[in-house]
Amino acid sequence: MKTVVCIKQVLQLGDEVEFTDDGLDVDPDYLDPALNEWDSFATEEALQLRERLGGEVVLVTCGSKASEAALRRCLAMGADRAIRIEGVARDPFSVARALAEVVSAENADLVLCGVQSSDAVQAATGTALAELLDLPCAAVVTKVDYDAGARTAVVDRELEGGLVDRVEIDTPAVLTIQTGINEPRYANLRAIKQAEQVEIDVRNAAGGGAPAYRVRKMFVPDRGEGAEMIDGSPAEIAARIASIVKERLV
Amino acid sequence: MPRDPKHDILFEPIKIGPKVMKNRFYQVPHCNGFGSEKPFSQAYFRALKAEGGFAGVSTEYCSISPESDDTHRMSARIWDDGDIKNLSLMCDMLHEHDALAACELWYGGPHAPNMESRCVARGPSQIPSDFEFLTYAIEADKDDIRYLQNLYVAAAKRARTAGFDIVYVYGSHSYLPQQFLTPYYNHRTDEYGGSFENRARFWRETIEMVKEAVGDDCAICVRMSTDMFMGEAGTQLKRDCLPFVELCDDLVDVWDINLSGIAEWGEDATPSRFYPQGRALPWQAAVKAISKKPVLGVGRWTNPDLMAEAINDGKLDIIATCRPSTSDPFLPKKIDEGRLDDIRECIGCNVCISRWEIGGPPLICTQNATAGEEYRRGWHPERFTKAKNADNDVLVVGAGPAGMECAMILGKRGMRRVHLVEEQDDMGGTMRWIPQLPGLGEWARIVNYRKIQIDKLKNVEFIPNTKLSAKDVAEYGAEIVIVATGSYWSTDGLNGASHATIEGADASLAWQATPDQIMGEGKELAGDSVVVFDNDGYYTGVSMAEKLALEGKKVTLMTPLGTIAPYMHFTLEAPNQHRTLHRLGVEIVPYHLPSRVEEGVVVATHVYDEEGHEKSFAADGVVWVAQRRSNEALFRELKDSIGLDQLKAEGVDSLYRIGDCEAPRLTADAVFSGHRLAREIDSADPSLPLPFKRERRMVDDASVASEKAEYAALYAEASLS
Repeated sequence: MKTVVCIKQVLQLGDEVEFTDDGLDVDPDYLDPALNEWDSFATEEALQLRERLGGEVVLVTCGSKASEAALRRCLAMGADRAIRIEGVARDPFSVARALAEVVSAENADLVLCGVQSSDAVQAATGTALAELLDLPCAAVVTKVDYDAGARTAVVDRELEGGLVDRVEIDTPAVLTIQTGINEPRYANLRAIKQAEQVEIDVRNAAGGGAPAYRVRKMFVPDRGEGAEMIDGSPAEIAARIASIVKERLV
Repeated sequence: MPRDPKHDILFEPIKIGPKVMKNRFYQVPHCNGFGSEKPFSQAYFRALKAEGGFAGVSTEYCSISPESDDTHRMSARIWDDGDIKNLSLMCDMLHEHDALAACELWYGGPHAPNMESRCVARGPSQIPSDFEFLTYAIEADKDDIRYLQNLYVAAAKRARTAGFDIVYVYGSHSYLPQQFLTPYYNHRTDEYGGSFENRARFWRETIEMVKEAVGDDCAICVRMSTDMFMGEAGTQLKRDCLPFVELCDDLVDVWDINLSGIAEWGEDATPSRFYPQGRALPWQAAVKAISKKPVLGVGRWTNPDLMAEAINDGKLDIIATCRPSTSDPFLPKKIDEGRLDDIRECIGCNVCISRWEIGGPPLICTQNATAGEEYRRGWHPERFTKAKNADNDVLVVGAGPAGMECAMILGKRGMRRVHLVEEQDDMGGTMRWIPQLPGLGEWARIVNYRKIQIDKLKNVEFIPNTKLSAKDVAEYGAEIVIVATGSYWSTDGLNGASHATIEGADASLAWQATPDQIMGEGKELAGDSVVVFDNDGYYTGVSMAEKLALEGKKVTLMTPLGTIAPYMHFTLEAPNQHRTLHRLGVEIVPYHLPSRVEEGVVVATHVYDEEGHEKSFAADGVVWVAQRRSNEALFRELKDSIGLDQLKAEGVDSLYRIGDCEAPRLTADAVFSGHRLAREIDSADPSLPLPFKRERRMVDDASVASEKAEYAALYAEASLS
């Protein structure tokens, strides 16, 4: 059982934000790197599959040397090895192309991605990767029941309004994993130290292909106006809200 | 973050008499246990507040004469040139931060026990103190009155020499000038008693004399309580205080307006259990409405929105704080820099005050472990040195107050990685449920402040829902292991009165419980009646009684102590807690210790009954607030079963324990314990506190020789026997 987990080191915004002079990106001084939250769930799911079925968990990421911190975090959780692809643009198509090249060579039984990354929130990389690998894909997965013998998986997908879509999917397949599917384990300090010693396999992206988009401008939108602070007793507040709703409905 | 413009008003300068305060933050007089006898501790404690942005900082009450000696409690004193010198250090250090220094001139009258000076105080009438036992004053005649007023003048001049910018003629808390103003203390029939004009005469004349003496150089501040909550006998706002403001407004440069007399001064230094911040605002606003001078007032202010609102609404000019300035000396600076979530908000527990009430020890603070340690341990609340062993990884087991504090400070000291591992799903330990006790909601600030700070520290990771065995700890990969697993309430009645368990006590039974079970685990006792046994003596027993009474149970609060919750006397919570329990119909049974319990009945004996007569108290359930025990199983297993050698082999170089896991104690002391270890994690032996600097007279050869010569001559001269 080999599972490849595609992870991303996201850049989180703090309370304040400034943009670079060209207005195309956030000033890196205002960003904190972290492992994408969804990817810790994807890694945990892969580790649980390995605990049940044996095999290997391989991590892949696109990013600079700094993004190895995210890989090492997942290595500390227990992943077996890690590949980092250098020189990839940040849009989902470019990332998916770079990942596809590496992932296809791994001949994995399952490929897990997070549903989305918390910084770009495109929710596109996983499905794009499936398309490029020509693999079936299930998105927003909240449960994985993998049958190694049949080479199928029954997975639950989270839909709107609390509905669950249970589907059977042939494997190999790409699954995009939703938060809450499991409880990601914490790495103890010994595992973190050991993960620091692991050699990471660094590859260069082949490049080429059009990006999914080009950033034209990054900015903080103008603040809306007309907020009304409602004071008073709960009954008064409720009455005021009711009258606002009535006004707007008319 | 820049300052929020809505708080700009707090940073506008204000003129008070001949001086200008650079902003609206002022530390009103409050005790710290240092007085004039520990001048460096005093100066460093106050100066940190100036560094943190307070524009004016006062001494605590500062005695003007040996006749006003508050020993056993610790006041400042400005009796002689030595006191001038000692207090001038504080003034100089405040001035280095462009803050004004204030001196609260104090004469206690009948409240001064004079245990060190052995003098006798003078007062308006010869009625013993309602605050002290066996303390009477001389009923002052006209000569005494002149003498007293001259004491104020002489002390004011000494204060000016020391470098003080603001001089108080202090009356609040039932001290001398306010005694004259108040019928409860003043039974005189001469021109200093009776009518308002007569009762006001002493204070007005004294202010005039002090103003005349130092008013060109110092601002004159009058601190007045505007309601003693004693009905006709006490000072009243409309009858006494507003007329007094009108009478003296021309003389006074700034009014310091508060509430209460001394016997229940928890109405002024309000515990959060009973009052929110800004409690005195209506009284302060009433003075502000008629005075042409700036008005400052306490209110346990921690919320800058409410501070700005008080000024914008014309209710106050200057935001005065005691406890919040101790909890966070950098309160003004953090507001100025828009760092509101870095404010270490006062929780209003009053353990700071408890130390003054106990008499003698330096103040402590639940929120700020560095309070009182600025000089003697050299701790700065906002600055840290990088630990010499910062290349180590630390595991802290248990995220209660001690563990959180320790992990936070280790993070600030730059340790490579700190893992704070907790069995429950969030931080707080017992402090998750203590704030759910009646009235203690603000205590959640202990947890909230630390959670926010820990979240900001990149080298500190919080790991919830993880119970570590000793083996897990040994193999965790940390060079430093700190066990902070807290304590639990004894389940078998073991208590500090009998030093024994109680027959039949077993909290695993359905009809018995401990506070941990009720608050932490949601255990419910069936039935209508319950006996709460309390031998802890602080808030837990009375809070359990109050909670259960609020839920409709008939509660009997039994204690072997002479009174319930005696420590709450020191925190000023006792009077209103008594009122609350009385209102709820809780039956108080002091001096009783259960000898045995069985379902439906608690059998107890009076602790002074030599014949041990038993008395039965019918109760459906029993709650044991008997004593706490450390949760030390993990520590013992690590130290005794695995052993330090094996731990070393696993890479654990050092093992410590902190907080209640070591020994149960006040939350303030548990937090201190975690802080202390983190501050000294790179000392030669962090398990032992480094010695702190003691301010004391040091004997040397020269002083021994000169003192011995002087006393030899003195005794030789005394030839009569």
